[in-house]
Amino acid sequence: MIALEVKGLRKTFGGVVALDGIDLAVGLDDIVGIVGPNGSGKTTLFNVVTGALKPSAGSVRWLGEEIGGMAAYQIARKGLVRTFQQAMSFPALTVRENALIAHEHGARSGTRAVVPDALLRFVGLDGREDEIAGSMPFGNLRRLGLALALAARPRLLLLDEPAAGLNDSETEQLAGIIRRLPGLGVGVCLIDHDMNLMTSICQRLIVLDFGAKIAEGRPEDVLNDRKVMEVYLGAPT
Amino acid sequence: MEIFLQQLINSLSVASVIILIGIGITLIFGLTGIINFAHGEFLMIGGMTTWLVVSHGGGFLLGAAAAVAVVGALGFVLERSLFRLTLDRPMNGFIISLGLIVVLQHVVIRFWNSYQKAIPQPLASVWEIGGVRIVAMRAAVVLITAVVVAITFFAISRSRYGLALRASVADQETAALMGVPVRRYITGVFIYGSALAGLGGAMMIALFPITPFIGSVIVVRGFAVALIGGLGNVAGAVLAGLVLGLMDGLSAGYGLPEWTEAYSFALMILILLLRPQGLLGGTAGPKAI
Amino acid sequence: MDLAKTESLDLPQAEPAKGGSVGAPRLTWMERAIVPAGVFLLLIGLPWLHPGYRLLSLAVSTGVNTIALCGLAILFGQAGIMSVGHAALMGVGAYAGAILARDLDMSFWAALPCAALLAAAVAGLVGLPSLRVGGHHFVIITFALCGLFTIVLTNGGAFTGAATGLDIAPIGTVFGVNFSKLQNLYLLAAAFVLASIGLMRLVMTSSYGRTLRSIRENETLAAALGVNVGLHKIVAFMISGAFAGVAGLVQVYFLQHISPDLYGAFPSVYIALMVMLGGPRMLLGPLMGAFIVTFLPEVLNLDPIDARIAYGVGLILVILLLPGGVMAGLAHLYLSCRRCVVRS
Repeated sequence: MIALEVKGLRKTFGGVVALDGIDLAVGLDDIVGIVGPNGSGKTTLFNVVTGALKPSAGSVRWLGEEIGGMAAYQIARKGLVRTFQQAMSFPALTVRENALIAHEHGARSGTRAVVPDALLRFVGLDGREDEIAGSMPFGNLRRLGLALALAARPRLLLLDEPAAGLNDSETEQLAGIIRRLPGLGVGVCLIDHDMNLMTSICQRLIVLDFGAKIAEGRPEDVLNDRKVMEVYLGAPT
Repeated sequence: MEIFLQQLINSLSVASVIILIGIGITLIFGLTGIINFAHGEFLMIGGMTTWLVVSHGGGFLLGAAAAVAVVGALGFVLERSLFRLTLDRPMNGFIISLGLIVVLQHVVIRFWNSYQKAIPQPLASVWEIGGVRIVAMRAAVVLITAVVVAITFFAISRSRYGLALRASVADQETAALMGVPVRRYITGVFIYGSALAGLGGAMMIALFPITPFIGSVIVVRGFAVALIGGLGNVAGAVLAGLVLGLMDGLSAGYGLPEWTEAYSFALMILILLLRPQGLLGGTAGPKAI
Repeated sequence: MDLAKTESLDLPQAEPAKGGSVGAPRLTWMERAIVPAGVFLLLIGLPWLHPGYRLLSLAVSTGVNTIALCGLAILFGQAGIMSVGHAALMGVGAYAGAILARDLDMSFWAALPCAALLAAAVAGLVGLPSLRVGGHHFVIITFALCGLFTIVLTNGGAFTGAATGLDIAPIGTVFGVNFSKLQNLYLLAAAFVLASIGLMRLVMTSSYGRTLRSIRENETLAAALGVNVGLHKIVAFMISGAFAGVAGLVQVYFLQHISPDLYGAFPSVYIALMVMLGGPRMLLGPLMGAFIVTFLPEVLNLDPIDARIAYGVGLILVILLLPGGVMAGLAHLYLSCRRCVVRS
């Protein structure tokens, strides 16, 4: 079932075209990956879809409802939740308090609420509920960010470079967590640069370049596509 | 018509003083995000310095020069010792400035009491041009301010230091990565802004008597000018200062003089609602609070 | 999402925490209760210590400021929003009380909800356009608000009493208690102080307080997790306004005369100063701040100008060295002493 449907999405900043007519469809059972060189518009796409920025043109439909231009908190409450590239938390609050915020303000209906402590256990932060978030090492902050997004009761998670800064074994753990999510009723759309990760967990890959979609399909097919290779490696001489 | 022109020139002279501190505020605020409410006290100290020099026999020019030097030095000292420590938390810089207001004001009161201070008019002549009476001192203030504005403008738009400054205002991190010694520019901007405030104080006391409390009256105008014009935008500060000065003059001459200050407040709210980045566009500050 | 379907994930343990991250050693329940309990006893028992008219008056002034400061502590300590317009909001409450008494013959008690609601409404009106553009702008707007408020009052003609201000009769007798007696008025003020501190604590420990703190800590993240940041900021400002309105009302009935200069920019700066000095996130922070700035210098007979210089310097030192305010500093001091005693 298609949950998120983006059609002809454009975003310009003055003269700069960050998104040039993007079409995208993600279902609640999917794990879809978005890749592309730096500056290709991946994070801008997430920003516009989740309400951090307003679209310049085009439509964003979530569960049949047009959400383009809605405020970020409203979209989050409808079950479309994102994480951030930087490890974001509420630094002076404890881990549990962090999760409680998401738990209290997240989606109102549709999914059964999960007790925050269970979520913290799910991402491997059990035993650390009373730690102050701002004093935690980076890897734990990443786990917390994921737990917060999950605590907001999403139906679709938009993960922005969740593997950035993680080593191989941490990335493996992350992959394990992400793979389980569709089975638990949460679809995933993620941006990242780690191709091993993307090929191992994504059913479908979308490649962006200069704000436009240049390829979409199974990871093996997309990554062997000539256009995609040119974008990453330069045109063959 | 003559009355209108006269009002215009009168309000221009007041606007000039406000522009002088507005420029300092917009640069400092735009570059560091620190709201230094004590900037008004800088103006007051500039005026007091001028008064001190003049009442001890020095000429006005000496007094004005002293004002610029003293307040510029004060800005340097404060930046180095206090504001520098709050660069990563600009709100603390603001709170410190509140403390500074209290300290600066009351130190002045302690040594020189809280009554009005005035100096004899440096230029006593009044010109008559086509039926309009122009007080020479007011014209001088406008002229001096125009020269300062021109110098500032040229420095910022033509020199490489100005370019580096504008880059830092737009994006401090990137500018630093490009090799701009941002810390030094911050100190420089503080010194320059303070010196301008000192000059403003000298101009002000040349026009009217001042009290040690004049700082907090003026500072809101200065911030209004910076906000309305666009943070970090010198041209914006000048434009906003002219608009506010014009409104003041018109209101004093034609409208309800008691409501004069309310107009600038209303304009500020209007700009915030309709065009928060200011008339000519400015930065949101290095870290929007 | 249905986590019931999860078997245990078998993840290797997350990285060990950096040292000291579970938070500094905490005070026990008893330790936390003893100082407030002592202070509250002192507050209530003050009249029976025969303090004399002057000290009791000072105590009422301190109390009035404390009420307003509790509201500011919610706004700044919890939500992280700085305002230097608090005196103007007190003025709304004070002038509302005086005008309602004069024109509608309203008593203190009837005017109480009016003052609170009116001040909250003014805060809401001001906050609506200015809170969404960011902290810088808001601070400047609140400062300008004070100036505007003073102008409105001074130009209000007979309605607001213009520059001379307004007079008001004292509260009178209720349930046999004569409130024109300073002692009884003091106890009334003390009751309000206790109520304010209690309310403030309620907010601090509730989930609402946690929501405000999330806005303070990371606004972007809060919005991305479903927090209606804009609404909460305005509501927090309105709540702080209500506290200020009540404080203003108590003040007008205490002073029995008010004028515009009581509620201008300077008083607002001193109020912000008080909350910073005392400690915006501590239970007794507001009271301590009011005590240091309003009560102490008079009691010690300090020259008012020297006293003010001391506040300014004190504020700067506190910001740089004791970010949690004097109360937080005292708490740390106590903890250090306790550790020394335990070791020896």
